[in-house]
Amino acid sequence: MNELANTALLHARDLRVSLAGRIVLHEVTLAPQPGWTAIVGPNGAGKSTLLRALAGLLPCDAGGVWLDGRPLGDWSATARGQRIAWLAQQGESSGDLTVRDVVMLGRLPHLGLFDAPGAADHAAVDDAMHRCGCSAWQSRRLSVLSGGERQRVLLARALAVNAPVLLLDEPTTHLDPPHQVAVVRLMQQLAAAGTTVISVLHDLPLALQADRMVVMHGGRLHAEGAADSSAVHAALVEVFDGAISIERIHGRLTAVPML
Amino acid sequence: MSANTAPQHAAERSSRRGLALGLLIASAALLLAGLAAGSDGWSWPGGSGADAGLIVGQIRAPRTLGAWLVGALLGLSGAIAQGLFRNPLADPYLLGSASGASLAVVVVLAASSLGGLAISGAAVGALMQLGLVGAAFVGALAGVLLTLALSRGTQETTRLLLAGVVVGVVLSAAGDLLASAAPQTLRARQVFLLGSTGFLGWSSVAWLAAGLALMLPVAWRLARVLDALTLGADSALSLGLALARWRLVLVAVLALATGLAVSQAGLIAFVGLVSPHLVRRFARAMHGYTVVASAAAGGVLLLASDVLARSVIAPQELPVGALTAVLGGGYLVWLLYRGRAA
Amino acid sequence: MASCGSWWRGLSVVWTLACVALWSADVSAATGSAVALRDDRGREQVFDGPPQRIVSLLPSLTESICALGGCAKLVGTDRYSSWPVSVNALPKLGGLEDTQIERIVALRPDVVLTAPSSRVIDKLESLGLRVLVLEPQTHADVQRSLQLLATMLGTPSAAAPLWAGIERDVALAAARVPAAVRGQRVYFEIDSTPYAAGEGSFIGQTLGRLAMANAVPAALGPFPKLNPEFVVRAQPDVVMAAAVPLAEMPGRPGWSGLRALREARVCGFQPAQYDLLVRPGPRLGEAALALADCLVALHSHP
Repeated sequence: MNELANTALLHARDLRVSLAGRIVLHEVTLAPQPGWTAIVGPNGAGKSTLLRALAGLLPCDAGGVWLDGRPLGDWSATARGQRIAWLAQQGESSGDLTVRDVVMLGRLPHLGLFDAPGAADHAAVDDAMHRCGCSAWQSRRLSVLSGGERQRVLLARALAVNAPVLLLDEPTTHLDPPHQVAVVRLMQQLAAAGTTVISVLHDLPLALQADRMVVMHGGRLHAEGAADSSAVHAALVEVFDGAISIERIHGRLTAVPML
Repeated sequence: MSANTAPQHAAERSSRRGLALGLLIASAALLLAGLAAGSDGWSWPGGSGADAGLIVGQIRAPRTLGAWLVGALLGLSGAIAQGLFRNPLADPYLLGSASGASLAVVVVLAASSLGGLAISGAAVGALMQLGLVGAAFVGALAGVLLTLALSRGTQETTRLLLAGVVVGVVLSAAGDLLASAAPQTLRARQVFLLGSTGFLGWSSVAWLAAGLALMLPVAWRLARVLDALTLGADSALSLGLALARWRLVLVAVLALATGLAVSQAGLIAFVGLVSPHLVRRFARAMHGYTVVASAAAGGVLLLASDVLARSVIAPQELPVGALTAVLGGGYLVWLLYRGRAA
Repeated sequence: MASCGSWWRGLSVVWTLACVALWSADVSAATGSAVALRDDRGREQVFDGPPQRIVSLLPSLTESICALGGCAKLVGTDRYSSWPVSVNALPKLGGLEDTQIERIVALRPDVVLTAPSSRVIDKLESLGLRVLVLEPQTHADVQRSLQLLATMLGTPSAAAPLWAGIERDVALAAARVPAAVRGQRVYFEIDSTPYAAGEGSFIGQTLGRLAMANAVPAALGPFPKLNPEFVVRAQPDVVMAAAVPLAEMPGRPGWSGLRALREARVCGFQPAQYDLLVRPGPRLGEAALALADCLVALHSHP
């Protein structure tokens, strides 16, 4: 475990988090390796809470999160923001900014409050928008976009940070299949380039394309391992009460509902 | 940029420039109008040079400038309030500044009559030195501090809003209680609550200008915080923003700007609420632009109301707060109506 | 001899009745002991007998009732009523905006006297109380309302001597005003908004009886809300106001240019005296004397 912790950029040890007096995460220990890790589990398993805790957005009762060997709390907000990018599950977007302005907000950790965006920032924004397929609407206002289009813009915002750790909470919400596939490919590309991508996904067929899977249940880590390992598959079937079966169809892993 | 968005981008940029130019021209025109509008309707005062100089230089000029500055401070505060709370109905008086100011005014008004009874003579002397203007300013700040204390910081905006409502109600009730114990203050308190630009002199203008010169750049610099907040507080935090600190600074700017405006001109309603909406109607932009443009729009709105108040039934005056509601609110109603019909 | 005496008695009764009829055009003929009175709303109220429990929500009406000898019948007043001193012991029922309706009802008044701007008229009437709305704005109004209240109290003849006394005092005050001061233009400020007393208001009329001119012409109405610039341009000869706002006037932008302020040709009134001046009631004569005294003092200390 300690060896793994040494190579993981971000890891959590014995993490206990409670919300409104109720313990939501029980002693979770996780050391995600560079690559794409998918966190799955039934509703209320604590997936989003875990992601939030990893992003440093929640205080922990016990245990902690380490970034690059140092406790998360020791990092300055800016340094942390440059290293960890987080995408919320419920994409908020009040106000009337243009798409480009929203994606440019992703450069905040690098710009701070006072600097004007430079060439590097514009390049990062262009690249992020291109990868998410929203370059065509950069001047459009967020309020006129559909749910799926808005989701892609918010994803681009998270990408623009160019952080080594990417925490995505349900990145495929509102997206239709072609775009879901595009996001999956994107996460695989980023993972191959060395980024630590951790995504919470309730969509099992998509999650099964990841490198590694973390199965959560009742606030605890139920199982962890390679996405194609049978142990993980067995754990999946168990936490979902046997309602699914993991099959290989056309060479790809998928989860089939047992009707 | 693809072909179909380039013209839109250009159109938006030109609308921003157009609004800025329009506000500049409107301000200049109204400043001139303010010098000409007086108790004779539209006229340049005749008579001897010294008297005309007194009228224009000591009465009309500072009143005109002062009205624009008060409106600008209120417009600025309104833009900050709406951005901080992500609520298009937020106004500068949200956090207890209005009720704090009016309570302080009643305390000073009643001080002379309550002196010896409830408070010591020295305290009465100090209060009279402070005067109504100083008291209103201190009261506004005290109201906001009380709200911050009640909500234990700026962590959660909902708690801050609720605390503001509670403080507003409690301080307002305290003011009512005190006023009924000293009924001779009721009239003067009413005068303050209604709001007036009638007695803005050069010393008021100096304070107002200094305040605006200080607050506007700070708010403009911190506008990015408001932009980031549109993504939600957690996302803004994840972007490395020291949200609690910057929120506190923005609340401080809000309190100071509102306190300054209220202490000089009383509780003028609507300007803070309506100015950001007027700006957004004509130009969409990020908060850096919106905050500055709201200040200018607020200045134009209040100055226009003041000029009208003086000239419509000269030498009598209409209450300026009623005119801001008619001008600003009427325009919004017309927008809504047009939106529904379209 | 006896027939001569009864002839004169009969004639004096007829004469008294004629005087009463001449004084009060608004009072309808009495039917038996019942009296019908028309208030300022034009509403007619029939009183079977003089009311025994009266609530007054306007200080001038409180003073009128007391001056007409009905003080004992008052069971409650508004918070501002302060004269005569005995009314301070009565329950205070709030102002015109925040009248305490439940307390009024609990006092079981036979009639409630109030101003047209009172918010509670409809509410009180719906609760079964009789409301008489009066708002004297001019000297003629004061005379009329005194007569109306006197009739209501069952002593219709009490009004005339009271009014005669007022007229006497006003004439006395007018005689006191030094000739050198007569005709000078007075600016009387009601409050610091600024609201002023115009020529047509009862204050303006009193000043008119004192042979003073008014800086605020009648065309602007009785109590106009003025542009401060107007006062500076008008350059009144005498400024009259409550003491506290008067002290702050030189601080108003441009008002240091008012010659009257620079030369201290001002009349500042303490709260009690100020109340006396702004109430259109039975103390109009006293008010005129107070104004005259101030003008005399100005003349003797130029």
